[in-house]
Formats: sequence, C-alpha cells, structure tokens
Amino acid sequence: MRLLTKTTLNLLSISLFIYLFGVIAFYYSLRIQVDSNVNNEMGKRKNSIVRQMEEAHSSVSQPPNRNEMVIVTPVDKAIPKDRYADTLIFNKEEQRYQLFRQLGFSEIVNKQPYYIQIYKSLEETDRLIVSIITTMTVLVILLIITLLIVNRYSSRLVWKVFYDTVEKVNRYDLNTHEEFTLQDSDVKEFADLNRVLLTMTERIKNDYLNLKEYTENASHEIQTPLAIINSKLELLLQSGEMSEKQYKALADAYEASIRLSKYNSTLILLAKIENKQFPESKNVSPETIINALLENLDDLIRSKKLEVLKQLLPDVTLRMNPYLAEMLIVNLVKNAVRHNVKCGKLVVELSETFLRISNTGPDLRVDKNLLFKRFYKSSSSPESLGLGLAIVQKICALYGFEVGYEFEGKMHCMTVNFTQNKFGTITNNGTV
Amino acid sequence: MKILIIEDEKTLSDAIVEYLDGEGHLCEVVYTFEEAVEKIELYQYDCMVVDINLPDGSGLDLIRLIKKRSITVGIIIVSARNSLDNRIEGLEIGADHYLTKPFHLAELNAHLKSIHRRISFNGSNELILNEIKLIPEEHRAFVLDKELVLTKKEYELLLFFISNKNKIITKAGLAEHLWGDHMDAADSYDFIYTHIKNLRRELLKKGCRDYIKTIYGLGYKFDIT
Repeated sequence: MRLLTKTTLNLLSISLFIYLFGVIAFYYSLRIQVDSNVNNEMGKRKNSIVRQMEEAHSSVSQPPNRNEMVIVTPVDKAIPKDRYADTLIFNKEEQRYQLFRQLGFSEIVNKQPYYIQIYKSLEETDRLIVSIITTMTVLVILLIITLLIVNRYSSRLVWKVFYDTVEKVNRYDLNTHEEFTLQDSDVKEFADLNRVLLTMTERIKNDYLNLKEYTENASHEIQTPLAIINSKLELLLQSGEMSEKQYKALADAYEASIRLSKYNSTLILLAKIENKQFPESKNVSPETIINALLENLDDLIRSKKLEVLKQLLPDVTLRMNPYLAEMLIVNLVKNAVRHNVKCGKLVVELSETFLRISNTGPDLRVDKNLLFKRFYKSSSSPESLGLGLAIVQKICALYGFEVGYEFEGKMHCMTVNFTQNKFGTITNNGTV
Repeated sequence: MKILIIEDEKTLSDAIVEYLDGEGHLCEVVYTFEEAVEKIELYQYDCMVVDINLPDGSGLDLIRLIKKRSITVGIIIVSARNSLDNRIEGLEIGADHYLTKPFHLAELNAHLKSIHRRISFNGSNELILNEIKLIPEEHRAFVLDKELVLTKKEYELLLFFISNKNKIITKAGLAEHLWGDHMDAADSYDFIYTHIKNLRRELLKKGCRDYIKTIYGLGYKFDIT
C-alpha cells in the first residue's frame, strides 16, 4: 500500500470514528437541552392551568396549539409528585404515532383533587434536531473530502522527489559508469535521504572500482609468474633424469598451471567485456567465422561422428568487434560440440535476425538461468572451464542481443537474436 | 642464430635461454628498454624476443625504433596482455609473431625456427633432418625422396616435432600449436594421439626410422639421437 493511501485511510477512518462519536454525543446533549426546555415550558404551563382552573371552576380550555393537549381527570387522591415522561400518541388524522412529552401532576382545586396531564408534541424539536445533525454531517463530510483532496495533492508534490529517488536508485547500475544524481528537495527528510544515498553510492562505486582494478591488476600480474612456472616446468621435463613417477607429477603440475592461466585469461576477457574495452566495430561475417571454426574443430567433430547441418544465409554481416564476434561464435559452437552425444547432430542456422546453434543431447534438468552463470558446469564435462556461456551472455549484453536456451525435440538450442539491435552498432561512448 | 631476448622477468628469460641453448643459438639477454637500445645499436641479431611491458618503456616502441633504422631482424613479441589491439598493432609495425604469456617454450622455439628459415634462405629452403626432407613453403614432406601423404595437421605436427627435436613436447603444447586457443587441451588429446599414430605410420611406411617416442602421461619426443 502506498504511503499516501495509507495516511489517507488512517485519516479517514479516525475522522469518521470521531465524527460518529461526536454526532451521537451531540444528539444526546441536544436532546437533553430540548427536554429540559420543554420541561421548563410545561412547568410554566402547569402554573397557568392551575390558575385557570381555580378561576374557571375546574374547567380548562384546550390550548389553541395543536401541539399541546391538556387532560384533566378528577381523582380520589392527589399524587404528591410531578411526573415527566415521553409517550407516543396515535394521531387519528395522520394515522401515525407521534412523540409527546408528558407531564402528569395532581392538584386540588376547590377541594377536589384532579390528575392533570399536559402533553406537548416533540415533533417540531425532533425535526429541528434532525435537520441540525444533517447539516452538520454534510458540512463535516465536505470538510473531510476537501481535506483529503488537499492532503493528497500536496503530498504528491512533496513526495515527488522521493519517488524520483526511488526510481533512480532502482535503475542505478554500477556497470554503466553513469553519473548518479538526485533531485534537490526543500524537505529536510528527503534532502537527508538523497544526501545519504549519494554518499553511499559514491562509496560503493569507489569500492567496486577499486576491487575491479585490483582483480584486473592481479589477473595481469598473475600471467607473468604463470609463464615462469610453465617454462620452468617445461625445462624440467627436458632434463631427462626423472622416474616415471616424477614425470607424472610434473605433467600434472604442468597441466594445472596451464588450466590456471586459461581461467585467468578468460576472467580477464570477461572483465574487459564488462568494461567495454572493445570499442572498435567492423562489419564481420559470421558465416566466415563459422566455416573457419568448423574446419578447425573438424577433428573433434569427426571423432564424435557428428552430423553437421549448416543453414547459413549468405552475406549476413554484423557490426561488432571482430574478436568478440569470434569469441561469441566459438563459445557457442564449442559448447554444442562438447555437450553433443556420439553420432549426434550439430545444426548451425544463421539468418539476418538470429544465430541458432543446436545439438543433440539428453534432457538437461537444469535451471536455464544457471546455464549462463560463471563456473556452472555440467557433471558430464569436468574439463570445461564453465565460462563459455558466461562470455556469450556478456557479449550479447554488450551489443543488446538476446540469448536464449530451449530444449526442443531432443535438441538443445542456443539462440542469439540480433533483432533488438540489428546492426550491432555501438555508440562512441561505449554504451549500447 | 643470434637472438636477443628482451624480458624484464629474469627467471623467465633464463628459462628461454636454457631451452634455446641446446638448439645451437647464441642468446643474449637484456632486462630493460635502455639496454636493448644499446645492444641493437652495437650488434646485429637475427631475431629478437620482445616483452611489451618493460620497466622503462614499451616493447612496441622498441620495434618501431628498429623498423625506423631499417634493421633486418625477426621479431617475436611475448606479452601478458592478450588484447587484440596489442596483437594487431604489434604485427602491423613489423613483428613476426605475437605470443601471449604464458606460452610454451616449444611454441616459441618453433616460431624462431620458422623465422630463421625465412631470413637465412629467403624462405625458399629445404629442411633436412637425416632421411626426412621438408619444403615448408609448399607444405610437402619427403622421406628418402618419397613424398609423404599427410593431412595439414599431420604436416604441421611433423614440422613442430622437427623444430623441437630431442625435446619432450607436452600434449598441451601440441594442442595449442595445432588448434590454437579454441580447443580446450583435454578435449584434444585423443586427436593428438590419432594424428601422431597416422604420422608415425606414414613415416614408417616410407622407410623412416621410428623417431617419435611416447613419454608416458606427458607427451612426445622426436628423438634423433
């Protein structure tokens, strides 16, 4: 729920509650006022009736007012106290009950006790109360609505900065190298929030850049010691004075250091793609790359007895960095060859809008999203680095291509859609 | 062949020298840009192995300097930076090869040999090793003047072996030489075996001695001793 809705609802429910309570209290206090007024009036009436009876020999003329009625009954014994009550009397003319205030009292006139009842209609006063309450209700509701509208409108103005900040923080990406700026606000809380956010992002960005720089430097620095290790091991191999056991140990060490250097150079490549250090673009022909690659991988393809099906639309060109284009295709094809089954199929399709590379294989029970994660490996090929598809994804992200995976009819299909950015152009400042 | 090695990492340059020594080359080592300039001005070399990142300058500038003075020398760049820009730039300004660290010494040696062949005989030479004869620019090989029927990979394999004769060549080194970076080493070991089997069979069929020795778990050796 939005804050604005929440506060509005709170305000509404509390004011409605208070208003309801107020109306009830108001009604009763009004009622009490009116009753005491009526009682007062009837008290005065009582005196005048008694006086009238004393003068006119126990008879009372009915008041001309239709709202008033006097009933005089001779009784045997006088009741000492006056009795006030509310009562309903059936109105024959209007065929309905009407509310009356009643005063009953005894009086001895000319030695004869009488029980006298004065009735006074409360219709008028009731109507008055109702109309007062109604007017009030309407006024209060109007007031609340106005308040709500004004509140909403002003809140929206005030919170605009906040929503802007949220939107910007949401879109913020460390990798885009964009300057992070926020709107100024004259509201202290929001200004504080923005200030804190700016300091925080600045700090995170610096930490991130430092870390990245450190990793890159480390990766580069590692290459030289690795070269030393490799060359020394190679020299050691030539010495020819070792037992088979020692050779085996040496071979393992040699292989491990080569593996390490491959990891290292691949990670450097990933970092460079992320840093957009491949700015220059040329028209590259995927077809040429694919053909050269398939020839290079011929041994591998033949040993697996793969059936290669090429459906390449001629003269398709992509405008992108030639090295990255090669890396993209190499990794996809290599992946499809490696995870293929014996006597399987390898289908390479190229059109102006997409490149699809499919291979036969058992149903992969993996999360599609995991496929593109770094160091994700299927158990079937422990030798692979697990970085191939991560490179594919990074390159696609750089050029705005869409890469997807699906399993269809025993074929694993990797599709790169060029449509999002058909010409693969990359603008001067490096952003896609 | 006289080779100048310009590599600031002493242990690495030592390893290079030690590997190349057995090949009858004369190797000199310098560790800085300044020393390299001095050497180039004073002496003549057939080939240079240049590291791009030198403590007091760039190997690329050194190559530019050499080209400016029209010194004829084969140049192999070794660099920790595997960037296409550097590679292209290096080759454009006149280097013959670009090797990325870490590299196989056998690979470096093979490139040096090919440069050597090119500069010493203007490329139109024959490479003769006992009963084997190679004509590199025609990609043809003969044993006792009978032509070998070899695939492209098998021919490359033979050339690589001859360039690194009497040395143990690791499977990883072979794989990288034959397929470049694209094939992961472990994937390619079976094919290396197949190619070597075919090459050996062809050599034996044409009457060549069995020079190819398998070193268990490690690789191979073209043993002519």
